[in-house]
Amino acid sequence: MKFNLKALPIAISIAMAPSIALSDEAADAKIAKLEQQVQTLQSQQNASLADKVQFNGFISGAYISSDNDAGYNNADSSANFSEDSKLGFQGTFNITDRTQAVLQLMMRGKYDWEVEAEWAYLSHRFENGVKVRGGKLRVPLFMYSDYLDVGYAQPFARPPQEVYGTIPFSSYTGAGVSYDVDYDDSTLTMQAFGGESDVKNSAVKLTNLMGANVSWTDEVWTLRAVYAQAQLDGPVVDELEVELATNVNTDAKYTVLDIDDEKGSFVGIGASYDNGEMIAITEWTRSEIDAAYPDTDSGYLTLGYRIKEFTPYVTVAYMKTQDNDERLPVSQAAAIQMIAFNAERMAYSLGLRWDAIDNVAVKFDITYADDFGDTSGGFINNSMDTTTGQFTYDDTLIYTVKFDAVF
Amino acid sequence: MKTLFSVLALSLSAIVSANAAVVVIGNTASGDMSASDAKKAFLGKGDSSVVVYELEEGNATRSEFHQAVTGKSDAQLKAFWSKQVFTGKGNPPATVPNAAAMKSAVASNPNAIGYIDEADVDATVKVILKP
Repeated sequence: MKFNLKALPIAISIAMAPSIALSDEAADAKIAKLEQQVQTLQSQQNASLADKVQFNGFISGAYISSDNDAGYNNADSSANFSEDSKLGFQGTFNITDRTQAVLQLMMRGKYDWEVEAEWAYLSHRFENGVKVRGGKLRVPLFMYSDYLDVGYAQPFARPPQEVYGTIPFSSYTGAGVSYDVDYDDSTLTMQAFGGESDVKNSAVKLTNLMGANVSWTDEVWTLRAVYAQAQLDGPVVDELEVELATNVNTDAKYTVLDIDDEKGSFVGIGASYDNGEMIAITEWTRSEIDAAYPDTDSGYLTLGYRIKEFTPYVTVAYMKTQDNDERLPVSQAAAIQMIAFNAERMAYSLGLRWDAIDNVAVKFDITYADDFGDTSGGFINNSMDTTTGQFTYDDTLIYTVKFDAVF
Repeated sequence: MKTLFSVLALSLSAIVSANAAVVVIGNTASGDMSASDAKKAFLGKGDSSVVVYELEEGNATRSEFHQAVTGKSDAQLKAFWSKQVFTGKGNPPATVPNAAAMKSAVASNPNAIGYIDEADVDATVKVILKP
């Protein structure tokens, strides 16, 4: 060892000798190249560490407000900074080349920033390409379900509530299996899932949740279809302004409907087009639940156009309950269900996504909803005056200013 | 300081030769690649043994490359990767700062691929696709 150390300077000077003989320029080029190689080796070493664990996050901050108190997206006439503000952290741990654990923790302003795991699963990809996942996963009902909260990856300020608001749960505990078929220029993904879920802040549980979806994309066109079903059980509790006497009102919680292990089903189709400039996205869904819980059809079409860092968009969306005849006011209970569940509306959005700086998008959106028919429009704060049979609001306008960032 | 100059010189040569096309490069031992395989590789799909290197965000060659191979604009690519990352489907490829680093990274790994301006190609790497 000692000999080696002593020999080292000599070895270096011998090694240096040829480069001294070379012109300065050639030597500099050689040194630059060696430095480059050292850097590459170092970054490869770092990369192998980074390959094991990755941390990412996303954050959204939103101001929403409305011209009235109908409660679209829980907006009212005062400023609301909580409803659409959220923070997510994700850790991806590569256990082996084929096995990984993913944990995504979410905090939402609307739930007082309570920490919840949205994704928490272990996945394994077999040699034949089949990928299985188990744990807490997103229910892949909609095109944006898998990244529902990652506003940065969406063109609009929020996915249209007429469609995305009809299903009151977004994740499930269970397992899923998926398989990709790679064609020359496109990919077909088939996925099946099963498990259980519950509705946040309610006692409604979903069991035997199972479904399948298939999607195809060539990175310009995306086509998608999904079917899912579940057993639903538990009380649907609502809060209604009850008139005790003339001008004496009180908010009362009451059970609108006790769902007794009823079957629900869901079908959805979607398509999107994005050639880098033009964006078009459309989805249509139908959910059906046995008994008096509403069956709803909904759909939307979004068109957008990228002009450098600006993407203006327009959205037209609708939703309508299809089984109003199951809630004819033949009894007091049925009348309450009619008021609470019958819903229809159209919504028109005009918005702008501005990719202001790297990894940060700022969004502006105005959404106008009307055509409620003889219903509340689906807004629990839109109460009916029982003497006139009229609902308080027959339209609503909401404003959104939002930033979405990823890191 | 000398390194800085050579980096400057490299980026200058990249600007000067802006007319030359972007090419996909591989290790000297690797065979040609099809356009669809290249598209898949740079979107994290297909053969998982391929090690992909990208130039850093904001690099003009990077934008030009993606326009030609994956068909994605800078904004689309970012949205694409944020979607992949937050659904646990994959992470964006490692990045290198310039063509010299790209060549060095690709030359040192037989499974590596990357892209550079055609004018920067030398004997250390092999052009495996001219998109």
